[in-house]
Amino acid sequence: MEQPDPIIHQPVRLKIMSALRVLPASEPIEFVRLKAIVAATEGNLGAHISTLEEAGYVKVEKDFVGKRPRTRIALTKQGRRAFEDYVAYLRDIIDTSPS
Amino acid sequence: MSLSSKEAAESLSDVERAARRSAQAFGYSKAAPHLILWGAIWVLGYSGTDFSPMNADWIWGPLILAGCVGGYLLGRGTLPTESSGAWRVFALAAVALLFIFSTYTIMWPVHGPQLAAFPALLTGTVYAGVGLWLGTRYLITGLAIIALTMGGYL
Repeated sequence: MEQPDPIIHQPVRLKIMSALRVLPASEPIEFVRLKAIVAATEGNLGAHISTLEEAGYVKVEKDFVGKRPRTRIALTKQGRRAFEDYVAYLRDIIDTSPS
Repeated sequence: MSLSSKEAAESLSDVERAARRSAQAFGYSKAAPHLILWGAIWVLGYSGTDFSPMNADWIWGPLILAGCVGGYLLGRGTLPTESSGAWRVFALAAVALLFIFSTYTIMWPVHGPQLAAFPALLTGTVYAGVGLWLGTRYLITGLAIIALTMGGYL
């Protein structure tokens, strides 16, 4: 990878992808829990999730638990691959830099 | 757009921090239903045996069975599907019971309060030990169980 993936490169989106990557494959996380992990505001997090969804990196599911709306986010296979490539890119920079 | 090695290291550090917090939150969310289930069983069991110590076997037997079945069902619902590890919840309860009854056999004779305190003390110790690796909430829960058990016993 010559250049970092601009979708993942943004710090909040990088945290979102990291939080999702550590979960078992296709396991979703609730929006409110992700908000606490990433420490972002609701609007900010929503905007970044939309960007990731448009890129095909995450899948968003909305449903109701009783009368309470629930939003869950899961990493897609494409997102998992892109994230792994991005982390490899970061490691490569560190490994090849003169110490 | 290219990154310096310092920026790359900072990004990797952010990745690891977010991953750690996410893994911990995931673990808590899966463990919580089991903790609540066994907490309810303990409340019923210890309350029952306090009022009627002579019927301890009849009180605890069905409760432990209900806990094992409940734990299995919760495990089916909460464990990630690809791990299909719900049976391990049942197996863990069986191993714990085997250890507890083996210890009673070795240490016999024991009296009622010892019989009652030992499983709770063991559970608290396991929680506190697990908490050293997996999160402070387990550690605090374990230490609280140990303190309450010893408080009740003494």
